Formats: sequence, C-alpha cells, structure tokens
Amino acid sequence: MLRTVLISVAFCAALSAAANARNTPMEAIAYVIGPVQPDGSQVSGNVTFTQNACGENVHVRIQLVGLKEGKHGFHVHEKGDLSNGCTSMGGHYNPDKMDHGAPEHEVRHVGDLGNVVADKDGKVDTTITDPVISLTGKRTIIGRGLVLHELEDDLGQGNHTDSKKTGNAGGRVACGVIGVNSEVDEWPCRDGGAGVLKQSMSVLALIIAVFIARGI
Amino acid sequence: MSTIKIEFAVQMRNEKCANEIKRVLTSRLGEEGQIEIDTKQGRVIVETNTPWSVIQDTIESTGRKAVLSGFGGQSAVALINTTGSVVDRTPVQGVVRFTSITAQDGGGLVVDGVVDGLKPGLHGLHIHESGDVSQGCASIGGHYNPRQSPHGSPQATQRHAGDLGNIRADPDGRATFRFIDPLLEVWDIIGRAVAITAEADDLGSGNNSQSLIDGNSGERIACGIIARSAGILQNFKRICACDGVTLWDERNKPLAGKERSQKL
Repeated sequence: MLRTVLISVAFCAALSAAANARNTPMEAIAYVIGPVQPDGSQVSGNVTFTQNACGENVHVRIQLVGLKEGKHGFHVHEKGDLSNGCTSMGGHYNPDKMDHGAPEHEVRHVGDLGNVVADKDGKVDTTITDPVISLTGKRTIIGRGLVLHELEDDLGQGNHTDSKKTGNAGGRVACGVIGVNSEVDEWPCRDGGAGVLKQSMSVLALIIAVFIARGI
Repeated sequence: MSTIKIEFAVQMRNEKCANEIKRVLTSRLGEEGQIEIDTKQGRVIVETNTPWSVIQDTIESTGRKAVLSGFGGQSAVALINTTGSVVDRTPVQGVVRFTSITAQDGGGLVVDGVVDGLKPGLHGLHIHESGDVSQGCASIGGHYNPRQSPHGSPQATQRHAGDLGNIRADPDGRATFRFIDPLLEVWDIIGRAVAITAEADDLGSGNNSQSLIDGNSGERIACGIIARSAGILQNFKRICACDGVTLWDERNKPLAGKERSQKL
C-alpha cells in the first residue's frame, strides 16, 4: 500500500514539474518598418515569436504590408544595434560560423529564416516553425535585429559570390529589433539548460522513489 | 572603478592624425583616460568614465568622423526615436547605451546617453517590461518590476528594477548623462524598452498613489527598444554586404529603402 502511494506521489511530482516547464510560453515581437517610398507606400508589420518551452521549436507569425509581390529574404542579424545602420548590426546571426543556407538545411546561419512571400496586394500573413532559433539560452534571438530584403534569398544555392554569405537578397526594405513580449519576469532557462535539468531531476526523483518503495 | 573601454572607428591616414587625436583626447580627459590608438586599423580605444558622446565629439573636433563600434563588454543600446504611436517622427531623439561592470570592478550597470529635443529640466527615465513598440510607447507595458515592488528612487531598497530616476535637460533641451545603476544587469534589460517622461519623477515621495506607480512623471514622450550591441573588438564590419553602404556613410543614410543604394 505504502509503495503504491509513494509511486503515485513521485509520478505526480514528475508530471507537475514537466507541466511547470510547459505552461510558460515565451513570446517575443519585432515591429519592423521601412522608410516611406516616393509613391507613398511603406513596408511595416509585426513578427511575433512563440516558444512553448526551452529547447522547443519557435513558431514565427509574420504579418506585413506594403511589400512588392514575390519572395523576400528574411534574416536575424547578430545585434539589434541600429545606431550606425547596417554596420552596427553585424552579419547574419551565425554563432557556429556556418555558410549561409535555407532554414531546412543542416548548414545554415542560426539567423537564416529563408524567404517570405508577399501576395499581389503586397501582404504577408503566414506562420513558420523553426527548430534552430530560440528565445532563451545562449542562442537567444532577443535583442537581435530582424531584416527584410528587397529580393529573394537564393538560400546559398546561387552562383553569386555573396550567395554563401548573405543569399544575395539585395537591399533592405525594413528592419526591427526583437523585443521581449511576455508576462514572464524572469526569462527561464537562460543558461540553455535549466529547464532540461529540472525535468531530468524529476525523472531521477521518480526512479529513486521507485527504488525506495521497492525496498519497503 | 567605474571606467569602461569604448572603441571608435576613426578615419586616420597617418601618425600625424593619430597624434592630433591623442592630443585633443588627453587635454579633454586629463590623466583619467587611457588612450590606445591603432592607426593602421583606424581604431581608437579609450578607457574612461566620461560619456561616450563627449568622447565622440572630442575626436570629431579634429575634423574626422568617429563611429562608436564597441562599448564595454556585453552591451546594449536603445535608439530613442519612438513616441505615442508614430515611429521616427518624435522631436525627441537620442541614444542610450548600457554595459555591465564586472563584480570585481564593483558591479552595476553603466547608463550613458544623450537625448535632444526635451523641455529644459528634469525628466523621468525608466526601463519598461516589454520591447513591443508596435503601438509606439503605449505598448511597452509598465515599469520593469520583477519583484512586485513599489516605485522608488534608484538608491532606494524598494524600487522597480526599471526605476532609473531623472535626467536633466539643459536650456538647449539636451540631456547628457552617465551614471551607474547598482541593481540592473545588461542581460536583464536586453529586449525591453527605455522611456523618457514629460515630467520629473518624484521617486515615490509624492504622497499619493500614483507616486508609487510612476512617480507622477506624466506621459511617455519618447522611447526605444533596448537592442544587443557590440562590446569592444567584437564588430569588425565596415561595409553593409547587401547594398555597399560603408561605416562612414551610414549616418547620412536611412536604415532601409532605395535611398541607401550604392551599388549601380
């Protein structure tokens, strides 16, 4: 009897720890904007990022207006510092010193989010899911810059010399900084491992409890 | 010690240029500033507790362009260019930089900025919890307050983490400030926003309920999102790969759009 109670207590503890890690989705937002063009048009919109737990995929909702119809390269830059324009933003966010690539490639910059496609009205409203970017830990994109380009990103497949570096997507049409947009006061798993550690600790506790129960 | 290293990219042709820059900096900073100049790389690094904007103006007084390219260790910067719901249209414009001082050097956060277009006198300066500027300064949330404390002065034990007190604008409407906040770290505030208010912050001593919320500091007249920026010797980018705009031309170019184009 005691054994059953102990096991169920341990199970509950493990489940609640896992639930704790899950029920705090993290959100970030970048308000991107470009200059007013001679014809009065202006690229603007919101890009929101949601991550349900440390180490999980990030869902990116992209809502933009004012673009030319077609594909536009879309990248996270290392810094969000616009104090000296493009140069102070650094290059594409690339902590592993990889070549430029497509979001689904093994070899890519962390910041390579591929292309967004504008419809004939110049609008984008789409959601992409990316397994590489993160809102927490060492690889966080919080505070970094988001840049939308004039042309299509060739995803590292072009013949141009810039293809393996930038995707040769032409000039910039809009940019923004990725900001915190959560009720979460203390951003969890800042070190990139705390959440995972918490979960593995609860599994360990469960195993120990089972052993103790068997002993009894 | 509250000094930090600040790196500038400066166009220097020869040793003569370098010596002239060294001379103006030495006469401005006196014995306090350590100055390293690399003529070949076009790099000037100053270790100082003088505001970055003063050092930049000093270097530029020799007739050369100076672009700040690194600020302390881990650093952040907010461009104050947003108001109500209109971006880039506020008469209040500024740049506020942040960097953490290591614990062995006493700890704390350097807050170093220059803001123009203000009414002369005191204005509140606060870090807000969110970096959402999609509705201008209206969508950045309340003062950053992870401990659920009442509003207070930066020196008080009970304060919002985001309470940075007041800055003072001179008769020309410019506020130049540099101080060390004892509580914040740069990684706590990256991705959040900094805002400037219309009125002075009473630091929680106003004897009414609003005083314990925002110090009766009034409307948010300008704000900006706090972005990650380079520490010294971290960013060697001199040219924008996508459109050929150089480090030296960025100041005169918009951030995006056709007017940036250098490639024909």
